[in-house]
Order: sequence, then structure tokens, then C-alpha cells
Amino acid sequence: MNMTGIIFSNIYDTPMGELTKKRTVASMPFGGRYRFIDFVLSNMVNSNVSSIGVITKYNYQSLMDHLGGGSEWDLNRKDANLYILPPFATGVTNIYRGNLEALYNAISFLNATKPDYVVMCDTTVICNIDFRDALKSHVESGADVTAICSSTIEDYECDSNDLVITAKDGIVDDLAIGYMLGESSKVGMGMFIIDRKTLINIINNYVSRGRYSFEKDYLLTSFVDKSIKINAYEFKGTVLRNHNVVSYFKNSFKLMKPEVKADIFKRDAIIRTKVRDEAPTFYHESSVVNECLVADGCEIKGTVENSILFRGVVIEEGAVVRNSIVMQGSHIGKSAAVNYAIIDKDVDISQGTALTGAPLTPIIIHKGQKI
Amino acid sequence: MYSNSMSKECIAMLLAGGQGSRLMVLTEKTAKPAVPFGGKYRIIDFPLSNCVNSGIDTVGIMTQYQPLELNDYIGNGGPWGLNRNYGGVHVLPPYSKSKKSEWYKGTANAIYQNIRFVDRYNPKYVLVLSGDHIYKMDYAKMLAFHKEKGSECTIAVLDVPLEEASRFGIMNTNSDDSIYEFEEKPKKPKSTKASMGVYLFNWDILRQYLIDDEHTEGSSNDFGKDVIPKLLSDKKKLYAYQFDGYWKDVGTIQSLWEANMDLIDDDVPIELKDPDFKIYARNYAHPSSYIAKSAEVTDSLITEGCSIEGKVVHSVISTGCTIEPGAVVENSFIMPNTTIKAGAVVKYSIISENCTIGAGASVGVEPEDPKAVKKNICVIAKDLLIADGEVVTE
Repeated sequence: MNMTGIIFSNIYDTPMGELTKKRTVASMPFGGRYRFIDFVLSNMVNSNVSSIGVITKYNYQSLMDHLGGGSEWDLNRKDANLYILPPFATGVTNIYRGNLEALYNAISFLNATKPDYVVMCDTTVICNIDFRDALKSHVESGADVTAICSSTIEDYECDSNDLVITAKDGIVDDLAIGYMLGESSKVGMGMFIIDRKTLINIINNYVSRGRYSFEKDYLLTSFVDKSIKINAYEFKGTVLRNHNVVSYFKNSFKLMKPEVKADIFKRDAIIRTKVRDEAPTFYHESSVVNECLVADGCEIKGTVENSILFRGVVIEEGAVVRNSIVMQGSHIGKSAAVNYAIIDKDVDISQGTALTGAPLTPIIIHKGQKI
Repeated sequence: MYSNSMSKECIAMLLAGGQGSRLMVLTEKTAKPAVPFGGKYRIIDFPLSNCVNSGIDTVGIMTQYQPLELNDYIGNGGPWGLNRNYGGVHVLPPYSKSKKSEWYKGTANAIYQNIRFVDRYNPKYVLVLSGDHIYKMDYAKMLAFHKEKGSECTIAVLDVPLEEASRFGIMNTNSDDSIYEFEEKPKKPKSTKASMGVYLFNWDILRQYLIDDEHTEGSSNDFGKDVIPKLLSDKKKLYAYQFDGYWKDVGTIQSLWEANMDLIDDDVPIELKDPDFKIYARNYAHPSSYIAKSAEVTDSLITEGCSIEGKVVHSVISTGCTIEPGAVVENSFIMPNTTIKAGAVVKYSIISENCTIGAGASVGVEPEDPKAVKKNICVIAKDLLIADGEVVTE
């Protein structure tokens, strides 16, 4: 019983706004040293999924740079491989109108791969899941497709693309997209398990009839027709849903909570990422650091509170950074003050500059800007 | 097998077989080159990264003492970019031959036993390195010097203070940098040029001298004691290559501690961050470090994968360590995956990997004179558990 992995790297780029202007949502930096895709990719590898296709649409240079040959995830083996699947320049279409169409371009990969099942995932939902348990549930249920879902937490806001499910004995009895069905409803995590040959048939049938969304065109209509049985596999661990900039901003800080950290970074199911060979971070005598996540290669002379510093960030003397995310290689000049901000990669905040956002509207400084 | 027609200009042979007995408990279970250093490195990362940064892509590592951890660490050489199709890194333990089998008897014998390995690459030059020094050096510059001088053996030297010169192997040179005399730990040093244990040879010459040395009765088969003196007495062309960066022999507890503290000190010119000359290391995918509200971190290096809730002053904390609330770590080097429990105090110490310092325990003592050169550094061996409240002073 084996699975092939499919990862959609940028089906939902838009809600991240400026942050995905020059990258796929899959390559969104997260948690100080990771990209979104590291989590789903590591989950797949930790679940013995050894052949993984990453479907990309555009802006995928940074993603390819990050993934390389897949060696960080042990996917450069004779029997384990990573495939980047960009759109064909010619053919049916250039850009994807939905995930089924994206899969259409990956059909030769799906035909060539051997495992009987496929696990398909988006990258925006962060968790540490063993897909083997979900596969077991899928096979036992005898369902046509399994939707991996979780119950929601207090601050959850239903997104227009969310698959909302109610289930009885694990079998879906009501289904909606972007609409809460009541308190007991579970929300899909953008992760599905399906028989490979069935999936190939669905792709061919639907795309040829101009229908492109797996959830809306296949799942929802077939469910309404009562032509398929859907298994709901409930994942009980911590789930961080990054729908938009605000949820991304909130979730980033949740990683500092011990219970969240322990649930996402498990010792027996490691989240892997690209190695950058940075030196350890240096905390100068003048540094004050409280309640922070700090990656390697930083140099801290100023004050940093309740913030996340990615690799190679420099905080100069007298600078004060609070409630912010500072991405790789950015430089915060002397006596600068930054509060509620997302500072993208390689930004230079010059001496004395003050930047203030608000908890629900963090100020975003674009990649490579000088302020 | 590749044919000999593909040859390498220069390959490196790294001596990693030594027990490092002066590091005491730190090398009970580990070869010296595999001893952790600087938060995320091991000592061997320095010579290995130097090789890669100098364009040397073939390195033989000769091991024999406690090789398990070192072999595991080196793996296929991928972290250093030494996983090459032709060349790359090779771990070379002593092995049985048809006529006899023996351990490496000395530094020269270790290479003698691997003549066939070196010959496979048909190199013009062979760089001989040791695995117990912390330094960043571009060997390509040394090679250029070697060629320019028409040297047959070039030895890298470092200017040391005259009063310390009697602790080193000293090269006495002419004005053109040629070496006329080598003195091991001279009582009355005539020069301050100390050997760094970095030798560059023309392979044809070294090869012959290794064979001759092996057949010399009573030889200790050592580079410093036998091969170099013989080259000198035969009037071969030996040159001293002056190196003026940071270099430190970390063969003792005191020097290992000092070298770690040097990383913190702004005045010491060892730069780990230079993007053009990175020090590579095997990486273990830890999340970012968490610095809690209760933490107080100053003047320290902290590596990824740590959880810091206590106080850390002037210390180096390695990957995967936990410093609980109320714990204090000062002037210490903590190796990977160690936990310092709540309220424990660690001062002037080296704590090995996977240790647990119990709640309220006290390890190490503040020196009476903090400026004294010789310090009493407390060492805790690998995998040890110090009970709650226990007091350890050495």
C-alpha cells in the first residue's frame, strides 16, 4: 500500500498579496528557517511517500532554488525522487484555471508512477501528519476519496475556498465550500487521498469538459449527485491554516507556544529544509531578546521582543523590533523602531526609521526594499 | 574505476587518527576531529571546509581511534560538497594487506599505508593536514607560493610570541623563506615561525621519502620527527609559507575552551560569517531557537534548535540545548543536545553532548583572578547526568 505525492505550489497565491509577488505560496518563509512546502514535503517523506511531484504555475524560481535536487529531504535516491512539474509552454493551456487542470499537465507523471494511491496537498496548512494513518482510514472506509480535515479553533474564519464537512461514522453526510455547516463541522486541510487510476480518469473526464476544480467540480457535484462516497479523516494534531496575511502573521507567533512547537516539530518526524550553512547567531552585550524565534546567522545588538528573526538578520544597536517578522538577510539600522511589521527578505531599514503597523494589519515591506 | 589518465593537481590527506588524550574525557568515545566546536561545528569542519574553499575536491581522512562517530559525521561528504563522482571525501582506516596488517604507526606511516589511494589520483601535490586545528586558510595561495618558489616541501608557519615559541615546532629560515633548520620545541628558539601542521609536498618526493622512511630502522614514522629532518639533511628545497590569520591548536581542554571564547571576542580575527569562505557542517534540521521572556542572553553565540529560558552570558551554546528558567550559564561552552535544568549554575566549563545538569546543581568555579591565563575549566563527559543539587568543581 503505497502513495505518490502531489503538491500544488501556487493554487492560492493571491491572498498573500505582496508576499507572493515574487514567489509561490509554497515558498513563503515560515518559522524562522522554513518555507511552507517544507512541512508538507517532510510529512510526505516521513510517511514513506517516495515519489513526489510539485506542480508549479509561475514565479517558481525561488521554489526550485529551495528544493534543488531534493537531497535535503532524501529525495535524490534511486528509489525516491522529487519532480518539479511546471506547465507545458504549449498544449491545452499556459496557466492553470484549477487544480484538475494543473493535474492534467502532470498526467504523464501520474501514469508513470507505480503506487496505487495518490496523496494531494496544498502547502498553506501547516501540521505534522502521518499520511499512512490517513491512507489506512481511506482503504478501510472503501470510499472513493478521503478528505483530510480537522476541527476548528476559536479564531478560525471560514475562507471562501475551505471545504466544510459534516460526517457520520467517518463518512461525509454534508459538504459545502466556504460556508460553515454548524458547530460540529470539520474543515478540509487541502489534503486528499484517492486511488491513482480513479484520479487519472477524473482528470481526463473533467478537464475535457471544461471543469477544472477538484473540490467544486468533482467533489461537490459528485456528492450532490450521490455518485461518490467521501471518507472524512479527522487529523487531531495542531493545524495552522495560512489563508491570508493576517492568519499567516498570527500563526507565525503561535510557533513559540510550547504545545504548538512540540506538536509541529516532532523528534521522530523531523521537518527538513534547505541548509544554508550560517554561523550561530551572535547576541552582543547590548542585546535584549525576549520571546523570540531566532534562526542561525543573525547578529543582534538591539532589542527584539515577540518577534521572529530569519537567517542572517542584523539588528543594529539601539534598534527596537517588536511583534514583527523579519525575513532572511534583512538589516535593521541603528535606533530604528519596528512594530507589527513583516519585513521581507533582504530589506534595509535605515538608521532611525520608525515603522508601525497594527496587529490585524501588519505593515509589509517588500523584498529588497531600502527604507 | 576511473583510469589514471584523469589526474588531480592537488589532493589533501587529513590525519584524524589521533586519540587526543589531552582532551581527556571529551575523547573517551570520540576521535578528536569529531569533537564539537563553536555551536554547530566539529573540529574537522575547519580543515575540510578550507579544502573545499581552496578548490581541493579530493580528501583522504585517515582514522583509527574511535572512528564510528567520525565516519557517521563525514558520511558521503555531501555537507561539504565533497560527494564527487571522481574524488570527494574518503575515510581511510588501516586495513589488512596480503603480507601484513597493522595500525597506523605514525603520521608518515598513515600516508605510507595509503600510497595506493594517492596514486589513484596521480596528483602532482599532496597537502597533509591534521584534524585538530581551528583556522581558516586558503590553501590555493600556499600552493601558488609552493610553485613560485619551486619548493619540494612547503610548511605553513605562524608567527608566535617569542616566549611561547618553545612550545612549538620552530622553522629557522633564510631571507628567501627557505628552511635551513627545524627544531621541535626548542629551549632557545632562534625564530618565531611555528609550524601549523600544514605540509604541502611534491608527491613524487614525498612518496619516495615515505617508502625510505618505512624501511629505516628505528624511525618513529612521524612527519615532524623523521620525514622533515631527513628532507632537510638531504638538502631538499623546503620553504616556510607565512600565514597570518587566526590559528589555534585545540588539543587541550584549556585551548578548546579559549578557542570557543575567541568566537565571541570581537578582537579575534576568526570570522565564521564570511559568505565567501563558509565553514560547512553537517546539519540536523532543528527548528529556530526559542528565546523566552524569562531569558537573558548577552555576549553569546546560540545555535538553532535551542530553548533558552535562563541566563546566558559570554558562552557558546550548541544545537539542541535547553537552558531552563533560573539556570545560569557563564563563560562556558555547551555541546549539542544538553539540558541545563532550572536553577543550575554552570561557570567556566565545557559540558559535552547529551548531558543533563540537574536542577540547582553547580558546575565549575569562578577563577580567583579572572585575568589569569591558565584557568581551571571544568569538563563534563558525554551522556552524563549530574544529579539535582550536585556540586562539581573539576
